[in-house]
Amino acid sequence: MKKLYVGTAGWSYKDWIDSFYLKGQSKSYDWLESYSQYFNTVEVNASYYTYINPKIVDGWLSKVEPKEDFLFNIKLHQDFTHRRKFSSEQIHAVKSNLDKLQNANRLGGLLIQFPYSFVLTKETATHVKELVDIFSEYEKFIEVRHKSWFIERFINFVKKNKSSICTIDQPIIGEAVEFKPILSGDNLYIRLHGRNEKAWKKSISNFGKEQTYEQQSERYDYLYSPGELLEIERTIREVLDKVKKVFVILNNHPKGSAVANAFELLHLLNERIKLNIPETTLKTFTRLSKISLN
Amino acid sequence: MDAFFVSVERILDPSLEGKPVIVGGDPHGRGVVAACSYEARKFGLHSAMPIRNAFRLCPHGVYLHGHHKEYGRLSREVRNLLEKKLPVVQQTSIDEFYIDYTGCEKIYGHPESFAKTLQQEIKQKLSLPCSIGIGSNKNIAKIASDFKKPQGITFVPHGKEKEFLAPLPVERIPGVGKKTFPVLRARGFRTIGDLANSSPDYLSTLLGKFGTDLWEKANGSGNDLFTLEHERKSISKETTFSEDIVSKPKIEEHLFNLASKIGQLLRNENWQTSTVSIKLRYSDFITLTRAKTLERPTDDDKVIYQTAIDLFRRSYTRRVSIRLIGIHLSNLNHFFEQEFLFEDREILRKKMLRAVMKIRDKYGFSSIKIGKLGSG
Repeated sequence: MKKLYVGTAGWSYKDWIDSFYLKGQSKSYDWLESYSQYFNTVEVNASYYTYINPKIVDGWLSKVEPKEDFLFNIKLHQDFTHRRKFSSEQIHAVKSNLDKLQNANRLGGLLIQFPYSFVLTKETATHVKELVDIFSEYEKFIEVRHKSWFIERFINFVKKNKSSICTIDQPIIGEAVEFKPILSGDNLYIRLHGRNEKAWKKSISNFGKEQTYEQQSERYDYLYSPGELLEIERTIREVLDKVKKVFVILNNHPKGSAVANAFELLHLLNERIKLNIPETTLKTFTRLSKISLN
Repeated sequence: MDAFFVSVERILDPSLEGKPVIVGGDPHGRGVVAACSYEARKFGLHSAMPIRNAFRLCPHGVYLHGHHKEYGRLSREVRNLLEKKLPVVQQTSIDEFYIDYTGCEKIYGHPESFAKTLQQEIKQKLSLPCSIGIGSNKNIAKIASDFKKPQGITFVPHGKEKEFLAPLPVERIPGVGKKTFPVLRARGFRTIGDLANSSPDYLSTLLGKFGTDLWEKANGSGNDLFTLEHERKSISKETTFSEDIVSKPKIEEHLFNLASKIGQLLRNENWQTSTVSIKLRYSDFITLTRAKTLERPTDDDKVIYQTAIDLFRRSYTRRVSIRLIGIHLSNLNHFFEQEFLFEDREILRKKMLRAVMKIRDKYGFSSIKIGKLGSG
C-alpha cells in the first residue's frame, strides 16, 4: 500500500505563531505535538547544524506517540556533506539518533544534501559512496543539485543502495533544473523550496556573508499559488504508481506559507478530501476555507 | 469556461463568491472589462465594454487587475485534464476548448452524460465552472455552449441544428459583431432563422464571402476540422516599460537584453530560429511588427540582436515614445551539431555560447553577459 507523507522542513518557527500555532499558550503547549495533529511527517533541519542530544529525540518520540504513522526525516550534519571532515565519534552521534528513530519505526530516512558546487568527479563520487556505506542500514534521500549527477550510472548506484534522489522545486533561474520527479528508488522525496526568484538571486550574491535569520530565510518567503500546486500535483501523480512512499516537504517556511501549502497539497493528493485546519491558518490564508472541514 | 478570470480570482480569494467581480484595468482609467461575474452582468456589464461605463453601472462591484499568470496555469490544467481523456482537443483561447468526440461513445457513452461527468470533474478537481455545448460541428457546439450559462449543458442532436438556431438572435453567430450586426439589423434580420430563410446570393452581395458563410452557418453547417499544435512554433519575449521611452540607445539596450534572454530560451530547447521579428508599441498604442527571415537558422544572440536592431532602426520612424518592445522568433527547428557546415568563427561562437550556458547553469542567468560591442 502506497503511503503519502506531507509535511514541512522543521516545525519550530516563531513566525508560525498565529498563522499555525496558537498565541499565548502555556508551557505545556508543545509545538511538535500540535504539528503532529495535522501532518504525518517532518524534516528535521536542526541536525544539519548540531549533533542532537539523544534525550531530545526521546522527547520527540513521546510527543508523537499517539500518531501511529508519523515519520521523521533527518538531515545529515554539514560536517559530512559540506565540510566533508568527520570523525568516528560524529558518525556515532548521528547513528545513535537514527537508530533510536529506526527502532521505534519512526524514521522516514536520512536526508543527505550536497551544495550546488558539489559536481560529479571521481573524488566526489567516492565521497558519496563512502557516506552511503557508512549509513547503509538506513533509507537515504540524496539531494544533488548539479546536473552532472543526473546520469544513468549514478541513478543506478542510488537505486542499488537503499537510496533515492531528491526531487526539488526551486526558482528557475538561468538553467536551474525544473521540477521533475526522478525515479531512482522505492521512494520519492520531494522538497519544495518556493519560487522567490528575486530573493534567491540576492542570496546567491550574499553567499558567505554574515546574515540575520530574516535575511537567510527571505529566499524561502513564497506562497505557492493554487495553479502552481495543481501543476505540482499533476507531476507527482505521473509517477505515483511507481513508488512505495512519497514524501512531500515544504521548505517555504516564512510566515507559515509552508503550512498553508502543505494543507493544500494534502487536499489535492488525497482526492480532494476536506481537512481539519486550525483557525489560525484559516484566518491567515483565507483561500484555505474552501478545503477546510470547519 | 464560465467567467474564467473571475472563477480563478475566486479560487485565490473565496470571499469574492457571490459578489459582482470585474477584472480589467483601473475603473477610472481608459481600459476595458476583461471579464466579469454573472452577478455583474445583471447590471448590464459585459466583457470588452469600457471599464468606466462599467463602473458607472456597477459602482459597488469589486474591480481587480487580475492574476494573469495564474489564468495561464489553470488554463493549462484544464487542457491537461481534457487531453488525458480525449484523443483530439483543440484550444482556441485561454478558456475555450473543442473536443472531437467522434468514436469516443464506445468508451464514454452518450455525449450528454459524458459532458455531465466532465463538467463535474473540472469543477471538483480544478474548482472551475464551465458550460458545454454538443453539436455536429464546431459552430453548433460553440453556439450551444453559450446557450445556457453558467454551468449549462446543451445538446443539439444531428438533424435538429436549424431548429435550434432559428429563434436565436443573429449576434449569437461567432463573427457577427460591431460591423456586421448593424448591417443585418438594418435589413430586418433579427434571428438566425431570418438568415437561414434568406438566400446565400443576397447575403453574399451584402457582406461578400462572409455573407455566404453566414448563410451556411445559419443553416446548421460548419467547420469540423481540428487543427492541432503539436509543437511550439514560436517564442517571444517582450518588455513593457514602466515609463514610455524615447531614447534610441536605451531602447536598443533593452533589445540587447531581450536578445540574450530569448537566445538562451532557444538554446535551452536545442532549437534554432529562421525568422526574427520585432514588435513595437508606441505610447499611443499604435503597434507594428516587422520580420526578417534569415539566410540560415541560428541560435546565436548576436545574430538575433543584429537582425532585431536592423528591424528596429528601419521601423522606428515616428517621433513618439515607445511603450513596449519585443522580439519574436518563429520558424523553429531543432539544432543539429553539423558544425562542419559553418565557418570557423561561427563554430567558435557556438562553442562559446554553449560554455556561457554552462556557466549560467551553475551560477544563474545574470552571472555572465556577452559584451554588446565585442567583435565576437
